[in-house]
Amino acid sequence: MSKPLPHVSGCMRLSYGDEFRLFETRISRLAAFGFAVVLAMLPFVASPFVLDLATQVLLASIGALALMLLTGFAGQVSLGHAGLLAAGAFTTGILFREFALPFWVTVPAAGLVGGLLGLVFGLPSLRLRGLYLAVSTLALHFVVVYLGAEYETRRGFSTGILIDPPRLFGHEIYAPREWYFILLAAALAALWISFNLLRSRSGRAWRAIRANETVAAALGIRVARHKLYAFVITSAMTAVAGALFALYRGFVSIEAFSLYLSIQYVAMIIIGGMGSLAGALLGALFVTLFPYGIEATMAALPGAGRLAGDVFAVNQAAFGVVMILFLVFEPEGLMGIWRRVRDWFVLWPFRARLPGRG
Amino acid sequence: MAELEIEGLTLAFGGLRVLEGVSLAVDAGELFALIGPNGAGKTSIFNCISGLYRPQAGSIRFRGEEITGLPPPEIARRGIARTFQHGELFGAMSVIDNLMTGRHALMRGAPLAEALFLPSVRRAEIAHREAVERVIAFVELERFRHAPVGGLPFGLQKLCGFARALAMEPRFLLLDEPSAGLNRDEREDLARFLLRIRHELGVPMIWIEHDMQMVADLADRVHVLDYGRTIASGPPDRVLSDPAVIGAYLGTAPAAS
Repeated sequence: MSKPLPHVSGCMRLSYGDEFRLFETRISRLAAFGFAVVLAMLPFVASPFVLDLATQVLLASIGALALMLLTGFAGQVSLGHAGLLAAGAFTTGILFREFALPFWVTVPAAGLVGGLLGLVFGLPSLRLRGLYLAVSTLALHFVVVYLGAEYETRRGFSTGILIDPPRLFGHEIYAPREWYFILLAAALAALWISFNLLRSRSGRAWRAIRANETVAAALGIRVARHKLYAFVITSAMTAVAGALFALYRGFVSIEAFSLYLSIQYVAMIIIGGMGSLAGALLGALFVTLFPYGIEATMAALPGAGRLAGDVFAVNQAAFGVVMILFLVFEPEGLMGIWRRVRDWFVLWPFRARLPGRG
Repeated sequence: MAELEIEGLTLAFGGLRVLEGVSLAVDAGELFALIGPNGAGKTSIFNCISGLYRPQAGSIRFRGEEITGLPPPEIARRGIARTFQHGELFGAMSVIDNLMTGRHALMRGAPLAEALFLPSVRRAEIAHREAVERVIAFVELERFRHAPVGGLPFGLQKLCGFARALAMEPRFLLLDEPSAGLNRDEREDLARFLLRIRHELGVPMIWIEHDMQMVADLADRVHVLDYGRTIASGPPDRVLSDPAVIGAYLGTAPAAS
């Protein structure tokens, strides 16, 4: 993605290389630095509960970024995301349980398995589109869940697979604070990779395919190949997220990977805002924290004791309502809201919208 | 030898015969106008050349090589670039990104290197960005280079489509009604760009056009289709005064009885 000029005066690009600078203005550098400080300080000031929420958000971010690349940029719908997370988690669990392999083997192996699954389940995308493709990706989910459940029962791990804390550089990773930094690094790496892909040839090919396959082909883009690249790369990323999830929890069970999880990931990219990496992060934040927000709200209501049994049902219903509200009123998601707020400040005191935005 | 040769091209959708044995040949550096009433099969010829349609019979040869039946990306990679009647740009992408997408086939694919944005990828991006900037300067779109194409007025969008085809560094251009929907000034600009391509780049073009004045002024040769058949072909002054051509456009007077 070529970057537009920032909304400040006096910022000039003097070479084409300047177009690739991540932070062009002093204010954006300052904001990024401030954000980094907040992220780095968080585990030292947050309660264990908040820290666990933060790690959950980081894990969800990796999966949401991958799905955003696949659906929000390459235009390929998938409901197989929970299946891929399960594939990564089970690859790690099985390799640890059966062969006692270390972190540096199990996590790349999970990525490899994810990539292979992506290749196989990306093949229908060469013929199918939209809803039909989504249904074909469901097959991936059910195959992986079936295999995982079979492994659990055959090996007698009917409640799940226990995984010991991994060792990195001879140090056992167990403390929540250490996990937070590892997952933060993983999420930043996923963001960096996604950003890089989007600003180079593959990303442009994906966006062209999403806009119009026929035109993309007439421009010399080998559509089938680039669709498969999208499936392989994003599936590998998702499976790595699944592997990290398994290692963080220290426990894998197929129960954790229901179809509802796939739908939550789809919700993340819709609520966050299709076609935006920042949207994927915002969506991951929103969808992960949402049930806790509902729970806290209900606990604060008068007569909380009587409502306690209904929390689960209210959660699901509220989630559905929020999805519908976003689809109807803000199809651009949280990023759409953010853009409007930003434009308002940029254009103040003139009440107008920036050209090119409806 | 002709750059592009079409022989006996026949295309039908079920019982609807769209092209019936059309033959034409475009020479090096030629601005070759393809005209005819609506539904005559002009765009269908383009779709056959660029591989989007498969003709039932006939052959298309580019620089002596048979390209009939090749998939569209392989034809584009041989240097045949095209524009579309309705622009068909990627509206959410900026002008730069649309043009960079046009250079897809000229760039080397290396998804892993791209994921890490290795120095080789950065160098390639910069080199191709420079080439795109030359095209932007050629079509005078400098002011809009960062704008999302979907927000530009229609005339500029058409110009972007033209620029995207030029960014492919084509050896042959297929222009599908580039002037449709343009105002007078934009048409004059387009005429200037067409002449510059012809004289400075020497790229041969097939140009579908409805503006007969432009065709008469600019084209080297004109080929007229009606109901999928060739009704005239030759230099503009002769073809445009051909009674069959005038009849196809305006209808013939019923014979006095």
